[in-house]
Amino acid sequence: MTVRLIKLLTASFLFFCLGVALFPVFFPTKVEKKVTTIHSGSSIVRDTQVDDWSHDDETVDDGDATWEEEPEDTQPDRRVVRQDDERFDEEDVPLDAKQNVVPKARVQAQFVSALGEMRRLAVTLEKQEAENFTNDEFKAADWADPEKIYFTLADRVISKLGKLDDATVLSFLQKPENRLDLARVTLIRKAGSQGIRSVATRPKGKEMLAALTSDLNWMSNLLHSGPTKNMEQALSYLETIYGKVGEEELKVPATRRIATTTALEFAREGWSEHDMFNRFTYYNDSWKEGKLNAHFDKLQYWETRFVTGCKQPSDGAGNWGSPRNLAWHRDNVRLPMEQYLGAEGQLEYRLRNVAGDSVFSAEYLAPIWKHVNFTTGWAYREIGGVCGALSHYATFSALAAGLPASTMGEPGHCAYAMRIGNEWRRGNSIYWQHSLHKTFWGEPEWGYLHLTQKLYEERFKTLAADQLVSLADFLTARRKMKAAFSSYEIAVKTQPNNWPALKRYAAYLKLKAPDDKDKWMTLHDTVMDGMGKEHYHAAATMQARYVYPNLAPLVKDRAKLNKMYSGLFAHFKDWGANRWDIAPILDAQIATCQTDDEKKSYLREVLRVLMKRPDYSGAVLTWGLGYISQLPEGDGKIQEEFTNMLVQAMSRTGSSSKQLDETWATLGEAIHAAAKNKERRTFQAIGRLAYNKCKKKFNKKGPRVKGFSGRVVSATAWIDTATTIGDMSNCCLHWGVLQRFGGFMPGKFEGKAGLTVGLEKKCDLVGVVCISQEKKLKNDRPFYLEVSDDGQNWYRVRPNGVINGGEIRFNLKGSGAAGKFVRMLREGDKYEPGITGFYVYGKPQKN
Amino acid sequence: MIKKIFTMMALGLLLASPTLAAKASTYPDALAKTGKNPIVIFIYGANYDKVSERTYDAFIKKNKIAPYVRQCTFLEMPLYQMPSDREKKDMEKRLGNKKLPHGIRCYPCLAVVDSKGNLRGAVQSPEEMKAPEVALVALKKLVDNFYAQEKLIEKAKKAKGEKKAAFLLAASDIDLNMPSGVVGKDERKALDDASGLGNRLAFDPLTVVEALQTKDYASANSYVRTMMAEGGYSKLQRQMIMAAYAGHLRRGGEGRTPASKERLRALYTEMRNIDPDSTYGAYAEGALVIWVEGGKLTDDPIPTEINRVGNTSDDGNSSGSSGKTAMGSTSIPAADDDEPASPDSDAPSDADFEGDDF
Repeated sequence: MTVRLIKLLTASFLFFCLGVALFPVFFPTKVEKKVTTIHSGSSIVRDTQVDDWSHDDETVDDGDATWEEEPEDTQPDRRVVRQDDERFDEEDVPLDAKQNVVPKARVQAQFVSALGEMRRLAVTLEKQEAENFTNDEFKAADWADPEKIYFTLADRVISKLGKLDDATVLSFLQKPENRLDLARVTLIRKAGSQGIRSVATRPKGKEMLAALTSDLNWMSNLLHSGPTKNMEQALSYLETIYGKVGEEELKVPATRRIATTTALEFAREGWSEHDMFNRFTYYNDSWKEGKLNAHFDKLQYWETRFVTGCKQPSDGAGNWGSPRNLAWHRDNVRLPMEQYLGAEGQLEYRLRNVAGDSVFSAEYLAPIWKHVNFTTGWAYREIGGVCGALSHYATFSALAAGLPASTMGEPGHCAYAMRIGNEWRRGNSIYWQHSLHKTFWGEPEWGYLHLTQKLYEERFKTLAADQLVSLADFLTARRKMKAAFSSYEIAVKTQPNNWPALKRYAAYLKLKAPDDKDKWMTLHDTVMDGMGKEHYHAAATMQARYVYPNLAPLVKDRAKLNKMYSGLFAHFKDWGANRWDIAPILDAQIATCQTDDEKKSYLREVLRVLMKRPDYSGAVLTWGLGYISQLPEGDGKIQEEFTNMLVQAMSRTGSSSKQLDETWATLGEAIHAAAKNKERRTFQAIGRLAYNKCKKKFNKKGPRVKGFSGRVVSATAWIDTATTIGDMSNCCLHWGVLQRFGGFMPGKFEGKAGLTVGLEKKCDLVGVVCISQEKKLKNDRPFYLEVSDDGQNWYRVRPNGVINGGEIRFNLKGSGAAGKFVRMLREGDKYEPGITGFYVYGKPQKN
Repeated sequence: MIKKIFTMMALGLLLASPTLAAKASTYPDALAKTGKNPIVIFIYGANYDKVSERTYDAFIKKNKIAPYVRQCTFLEMPLYQMPSDREKKDMEKRLGNKKLPHGIRCYPCLAVVDSKGNLRGAVQSPEEMKAPEVALVALKKLVDNFYAQEKLIEKAKKAKGEKKAAFLLAASDIDLNMPSGVVGKDERKALDDASGLGNRLAFDPLTVVEALQTKDYASANSYVRTMMAEGGYSKLQRQMIMAAYAGHLRRGGEGRTPASKERLRALYTEMRNIDPDSTYGAYAEGALVIWVEGGKLTDDPIPTEINRVGNTSDDGNSSGSSGKTAMGSTSIPAADDDEPASPDSDAPSDADFEGDDF
């Protein structure tokens, strides 16, 4: 009986268990599904996942997440949030209390072990790149549901990261399968799951995604070779190429590199698919036909982007980057790498063509286009051009051969940068200010190009840091703040030249721990000790833009802050890779001063430090003079105090023969700024100071001038020329031009700028004498004179100048000419000789 | 068929050449031994350029050039990119203390150089360098020109007065600088005046543009016609003068109405006919289409498919020539052959427009 009872009970239990097990199969319910809702700004982004309750133990509901049941008959919106460089969207995942803390700032010693691990990681990356890890876990069909892939991988990555301390995080990255998982997650986050889905719906989209995401090297190169803006678009472009050339061809390393970099660059620039494919075809065909320079074969992905991403891709007259123009350069300007630098010498310099049409007019090349088959470089080689055409010609000759180059702007001029070997060099350059037309981070100055080169030269160290930044980004999304902070901090310590990583970390710090002074200070020091060793401009900009505004309010001791500010410049040996504009840095520093007293103490400190630095002294004076000129009218007192401080600082410049050149250059730069700011008194003060300190630099005897009656009212004026002056070291001679012993300044009289003099007072004018550097001036175009009361509204006075040998004389007796400003002009745009004297005769009017 | 023709021509060259080409191993050696014969230098990218490698295989390894340039001194000159120490030594050895001539825009090429190291011409466009047979045809022209130039120099040395002046002008037409000693210092001015070479040497197209700027149409016409009548200007310069004149009339300005289309037609036609094959002949042709006919210069259909990007010729090279292919390969005119070309007889002359726009 007992046995039967036991058997019955056992059977009943088994039946019950079977029933329980099969119940959901036959009677599905909503019980198993839960929906997480992710709040992302104003949009609500949702995802479904089977809740396995595995997080129960560590789940702390922070109250933000909304849990709701999904209606069976609706298709949920299941997007994964697209990662934005400036945003840190979090997914609606349970918050881990242990991870919801900002870790304390670490001292250097606490990084030692982690940095050692990162070095080992860099070695591993280099070794494993040669082996290339592949894993086709996700087949083409799987990419129809990118969210499923994402959440599968996200859970896996989190589970593999274990305790989320430095050791587990860094050992995670050692394994290629983990890095591939991380890359897939990063790709989906960068493109957004909707973006991936959209790519997957394209004819070859799923296949392309499967091929791409199964190959670790390809993924690394796609994600870590520079900016990844518009990743969804880049993937669409890759699909286009994949669809047209096929998977096999894309396995050829060079073809894959050309395809990937073209897709990335065209997506980033927002250029069309049609042009993208033509550009890809140009480089791929040229490479296959062996028509590119052999150096192209050695390029990494990041540097290939300078080539395949060159501008003006559309076909048509005037476009330098059109396939036909590139093909023409490739075949007709084939040179060894070094000779592309200077290839502009193949063109004649011409502002007007032989028909008299300006190079800036549509008529300039119009009749020739058919003859040159609408090929831009060929057209300019036939007709000639000015700096723009010349620099583009050299640049696109190199680019067409597959060599990195970029045009760049300079004040009133176009030059170019070209990489010879691993060194970027300037071509057709006349000024220190460069604004590159191709940049990775939107920072066009030369120092950043240098930084980019150095960053990616240390390829595997940078790749290790980039991997860790990707992981940190992922951790921020998964609300693992503590681990995210540690990962960012180790990443920027590992590769302190990593501009985008530093920016990203600073943004996260601002978001999560804006008042953590120690962390901001650590970041400040990281920048100084790392990037600040060599890349002065970038380091100073990083501090000025991202650190000072957050750190300064937390430092209560003003003197300490001033020391930190002046210490920035004390830290730099010279200008670094190239001279740069320190004004924005000084502006950012003084902007953190709240009161006039703070501003004065700041100015005193930076003048104290910078006036001892010959490289920076002229620039700080220029900035100071500019700052004063922009102060509101009511700030007369502080204006005067600032001026006095600057003049005192200048007067302290050395005058020994050893320091003579430095002082001369410093004062030259300052007087140039004073003229540009129309600061007559400062102009005169600096001129006199320069004369006292550097008498040797001035003429002993002046030109012989037969003057007019009346006083020389220009001796106390300022004078300025329309010419852009690259080297300002001799600008004190401009002041000399107004004095009896004479000086020198470059002549430029065309247009409406000419040569301008600002007198002390409004004067009745009797005459003007200008002494040219040339003893016999060409009398082909008249010189004329304009006067103004306010420097804005000008009127011409008669008669025009009379040229007498090297003199231009304006006899204004009886003309009634009067004004506070005088300028000399001339029609035409030819070269003009410099001037050695400029004297305005007249009588100051009474008020 | 074309290949056969080229082969025949090459064979013709071979048979016509009386002596074998002397091969030189270094540039100084070539300069020293070439005498009155030209040096042909095959300059190529040795470590960076597959096109050069292919050309080297086709031209040099298969011996397709040197045997056909008999009498000349033949030299191979590799160029290295970012040279290694060994490559630097090789370059130094080949060049000695000499420098390669200026004026070459593209490698690989075949440069024709005289014993003083002056570049007399170069076969360098991708069309010409695509095959040895084609390059040889262009090279032959350059070599022929070289000898004609040498004759011209010899004649100029012996000639006097107006004859000498005519030779100088002919030399100038082909951008040939007379070697020092051909013209004495004391006879320079007289020769320049006699030949009009003074005008030619002092010519600056933008000076013409500036001079015309302030002139009314009648004065501009008179100015230009006087210039053209003075003589001495090359065909290219005469075309430039016409371009400046036509541009002045086309733009109008300063109270002047732009000239009528008929008048522009006459001027651009005259400009084109001076030398239709030159760049400025093509310029005039284009000007007729856009500024006289009011048409557009139409582009060829833009190729978009794989292998069809750029303006590629049959072999995939993009076209880069404009009439003249080999640099300096224009035929040399006879010394007394340099009369200004007269415009088409059916083109209207200035006289036909008296009163029009003036």
